Amino acid sequence: METALTPALGATAHNLTAEEFDAIVRRHQRRVHRFLLMMVRDAEEADNLTQECFLRAYQNMSSFRAESSLETWLMQIAANLIRDQARNRKVGFWRRLLGLRDGEGEEWAEHVAAPEASPEQSLLAREEVRAVWGVAEQLSRQQRAVFLLRFVEDMELHEIAAVLGLQVGSVKTHLFRALQTVRGRLRDQR
Amino acid sequence: MNTGENSHELLVEKALVGFDLAAEHHLAHCAPCQEERERVGEALREFGNASRQHAGQPEIFWEQQAARIRAGSTERAQRSRLGLTLAPGLAVLFLVAFALLSREPGVRPAQPPTAQVDSDHELLVEVERAVETDTPLSLEPATLMIEQGDSKENSISTNSGKEPGSHEN
Repeated sequence: METALTPALGATAHNLTAEEFDAIVRRHQRRVHRFLLMMVRDAEEADNLTQECFLRAYQNMSSFRAESSLETWLMQIAANLIRDQARNRKVGFWRRLLGLRDGEGEEWAEHVAAPEASPEQSLLAREEVRAVWGVAEQLSRQQRAVFLLRFVEDMELHEIAAVLGLQVGSVKTHLFRALQTVRGRLRDQR
Repeated sequence: MNTGENSHELLVEKALVGFDLAAEHHLAHCAPCQEERERVGEALREFGNASRQHAGQPEIFWEQQAARIRAGSTERAQRSRLGLTLAPGLAVLFLVAFALLSREPGVRPAQPPTAQVDSDHELLVEVERAVETDTPLSLEPATLMIEQGDSKENSISTNSGKEPGSHEN
């Protein structure tokens, strides 16, 4: 997952200009934001975490080693931010208590199905996606991260392992269990 | 659901997770499992597409986010520069303070202030007080005895001073 800036970055990480950093932000912000949004399911929180992710990257650019791609490194920072955020259970507790997440699955499902699809096809697709999201929300944080990185971000297993700091075998196990849970719940719902 | 169905599902899930030789071998000869993999795979692709679409934002959103990140990075860089500028000054200040403190033998505990006493003045005051004070009555005979003793001594000394002259005569 090399990027155009990655080779140059290895040599000039210490002397990154504002323009170069801005180019990195523009290149990677969509993916980082998407991953964070899917994990935290809160637009404002995802926006804040995306900013923090890039600011941490900026501050620690000297520690970046070209062993991984810049995108993988940024996703690692994002994953760490989610982990840190997950430690702060207070927000999640109040959110659950106030029921702020109700109905989000429906909102997401509205985006399903291409405009050319028939109403029946659209409905079916919306139902399935809504159901998958409903189940994905119930997965453990690690399983959800693996599941989303694999099926939304289309990442390879070794890339997911690098992002989450896991062995490839562990990623396979998490993904296998996540799939089993999703399929099992979907079967039960039918 | 029997064990056979379970093993088919496990193989389909294994195939969906990643390349698995045993699963691929099974799927090559099992049409229902192939269909199942296609169906689940399609649902997961739809899920991925829907999620990506949902996370999509208008261009202005990305512009604003990038601007906020730019402002944040500038602020943090300034803060970092300020820290770097102040750090040597603070270090010098610390060293000077340390040097000054180490030159002193040690911080002495504060001693309570002592009243300065002029011993001569004190003595003078005592003498004056004694002179002004009347001698107590009980001490009068003793005083007289001392006075008498003094007058006898004086007379003896006067007589003894005259004797050599009488011998001379």
